[in-house]
Amino acid sequence: MDDYLIGVLSNIGVISFLALSAYLLLLTGEISFGQQAFFAIGGYAAGIATALWGWSLTAALLWGAATGAAAAVLVGVPTLRLHGLYFAIATLAFAEMMRILFELFHYQISIDGEWVGPDGSDGFRNIRYIFENDVGPVQFLALIYGLLAAAVGGFMLLERSRLGVAFRMIGEDEVLAEMHGVAVARHKVLAAGLAGAIAGIGGGLYAHMTTYVEPRIFDVMLGVHSLAYGLIGGLGTAFGPLLGVLIDIGVLESIRTFAGFRMIIFGGLVAALLIFRPRGLLDECVVHRIAGAWLRVWGWILRSASRPAGGGR
Amino acid sequence: MIDFAQNTIDGIMIGSSYGLLALGFTLIFGVMRRLNLSFGPSIMVGAYLGTLLYLNFAAGPIAVAAVTVLGAVLAGIYVERLCFAPMAAGAGIASMVSSFAIWMQLEQAAILLLPRHTYPFPSLTTGAPLTLGPFQLRADHLIMLACALGLSAGLQLLLYRSRFGLALRAIIGNPVAAHLVGINVRTAVLGAFAVASAIGGIAGYLVLATDQQITPMFGMWATIKGLIAMMIGGLGSIPGAILGGLVLGCLEAHSQSYFGPQIRDLSAYILLFVCLVLRPGGLLGEAPTRETIDRRRA
Amino acid sequence: MTGAGGIRLFSALAMAVCFAGALRAAEVRAKVDVACQPTGKPLQYDCTIRLLNARSNEPLTDVALTVGADMPSMPLAHNVRPVKTTVGAAPGMHEVRIELEMLGDWALRIDLTGKVRDRVIKVLRFEQDRVGPATALANPPSQHKH
Repeated sequence: MDDYLIGVLSNIGVISFLALSAYLLLLTGEISFGQQAFFAIGGYAAGIATALWGWSLTAALLWGAATGAAAAVLVGVPTLRLHGLYFAIATLAFAEMMRILFELFHYQISIDGEWVGPDGSDGFRNIRYIFENDVGPVQFLALIYGLLAAAVGGFMLLERSRLGVAFRMIGEDEVLAEMHGVAVARHKVLAAGLAGAIAGIGGGLYAHMTTYVEPRIFDVMLGVHSLAYGLIGGLGTAFGPLLGVLIDIGVLESIRTFAGFRMIIFGGLVAALLIFRPRGLLDECVVHRIAGAWLRVWGWILRSASRPAGGGR
Repeated sequence: MIDFAQNTIDGIMIGSSYGLLALGFTLIFGVMRRLNLSFGPSIMVGAYLGTLLYLNFAAGPIAVAAVTVLGAVLAGIYVERLCFAPMAAGAGIASMVSSFAIWMQLEQAAILLLPRHTYPFPSLTTGAPLTLGPFQLRADHLIMLACALGLSAGLQLLLYRSRFGLALRAIIGNPVAAHLVGINVRTAVLGAFAVASAIGGIAGYLVLATDQQITPMFGMWATIKGLIAMMIGGLGSIPGAILGGLVLGCLEAHSQSYFGPQIRDLSAYILLFVCLVLRPGGLLGEAPTRETIDRRRA
Repeated sequence: MTGAGGIRLFSALAMAVCFAGALRAAEVRAKVDVACQPTGKPLQYDCTIRLLNARSNEPLTDVALTVGADMPSMPLAHNVRPVKTTVGAAPGMHEVRIELEMLGDWALRIDLTGKVRDRVIKVLRFEQDRVGPATALANPPSQHKH
């Protein structure tokens, strides 16, 4: 495969984690401008784990997910009673706080006579695990998409489970959910923690993919983008945010010839799309229709299969 | 002690520009119940047009200010037409994301207009700062403060003493009822956008004339500062917007002078976060009720 | 800070639980110097890259290079398609012409393949008439400098 294509596909895969993270909160009805903070925390934590402490990549990614989740729960508890714009701005404030703290964060140790580790606003270079352990770009791509498939599979199970129903109920109407016996507070903190873990894994992958992170990467732009993916692709299914990422990066790549006008075209396309489909391409209606059609097709297959093989009346 | 007082003075002066940005924000939010992330970038487009005029024709401060405000209003109307007017009720998040997409667009347009990272912006006044005992007062800062107080009073008058204001207040109260009693909601909302953008344009002009330079970061800067000041002061409150701006300005001036720029930004976000958690309604706003946060309206 | 402060606290415990992943052999590591200048055409720059063996400080040869670029403030939206370098006159020297999308800070991503596989990141500020070191702090949301 072409190196460039691998690079683009890796980007799409990694950023999908962030989009899924924002999407999970959108399911519970909350807009977060701050998921990039957990992406950053996961990235720094996992990078420190392999580059400074010599951990394996698996352990480092789990550690990134754990720190992302822990941080998300810590933010989730005080912001529990905030909604809508208030919640969105609180998460924005938290994410910017984290970004500035990473600018002030110095933790370097000397490895083979070279200083390695986060160096404030100069960033954290030389997260060289994939080069030290000869993980090729295709292998790393497979790792990204393996984990992404696991995450999407988790979402599919979630949508069918009581937990998923509870999340969507809270998203529709919190008071009604509470009256139906859903422990709203506990579910919201759980959703925040899960979203933090997903973002943390994505961050860990990102840090190892690029070998380098710096605080500026994790600014508001990244957060709003990740939120936008769900809305562009659709809020009906976990494939929505993935479609959003694909559209964003895919369309941006394919209109390269327009160079300086790319953002103008792309911004206009997104705005136009949202006028016609305010809940994205794969919104609940479309998903419902697809599911219905699928059930009909499936039922037809089952019926024709159960007919006697001879077929005569 | 003198340092402390001087910092406070500087903070109030700069805070008044934050207050102006918050004023524009709060007017849009009050009327629409939707967040316009493109508020800062549309001001920036105006300011870039002003800069272009200054660079090519050596235009004077009044012409630059006029073009900045006019450009901001036009960009604001463009945002309203594209991101807010065509959106159905209940599509508040879509409006917000759409305004973010237009933010990207406006930023790129500004960069196409003037590609360098930094451009000079004409200053409003020349000459040494006024000295009052041990304190220094910059003339452009005083103009900023005067504008903040004047415009907020003017906006208050507009809202409570004019037919246009009456219509806006009716829409803020209940858009459906306002429509039923014969108020042209669409026109009034467009008017509110234009007024808010004009206030933002004035704020942007004053800040840039004080800094004497402009970068493509200005759009994001204006959106973020306006948003923080609005939330601290209280959503939808005019005195709250100004107060929030002043509080933010003072906090930033002090933390900047004692700890440097990183801690200055950090303390602003900590204040915002703590304020939202402990007092979501802000200093002067009402605490959010289910009605104001209902996503179906937002 | 929640993430990083805790990291140190837990490090001792975690080190005991987990195992050393990477065996750091005496591998070759690259040191890279990059110098760029504008070509005269807007947004086009010529870069000269010098590759050294980080340990012996000798020129590093038999390595193919590609140079891509990302904008740190928008890592995915603004990036430059990686370009292969041409080998320069002296050993370890490479030359490449890159075209950016806008002026500002760019993180050059220099990928080494061949004898040594590695990736080196260099953050530079590209301006119309010159290229200098990027100063992360000079990236001003700090509009007000007193």
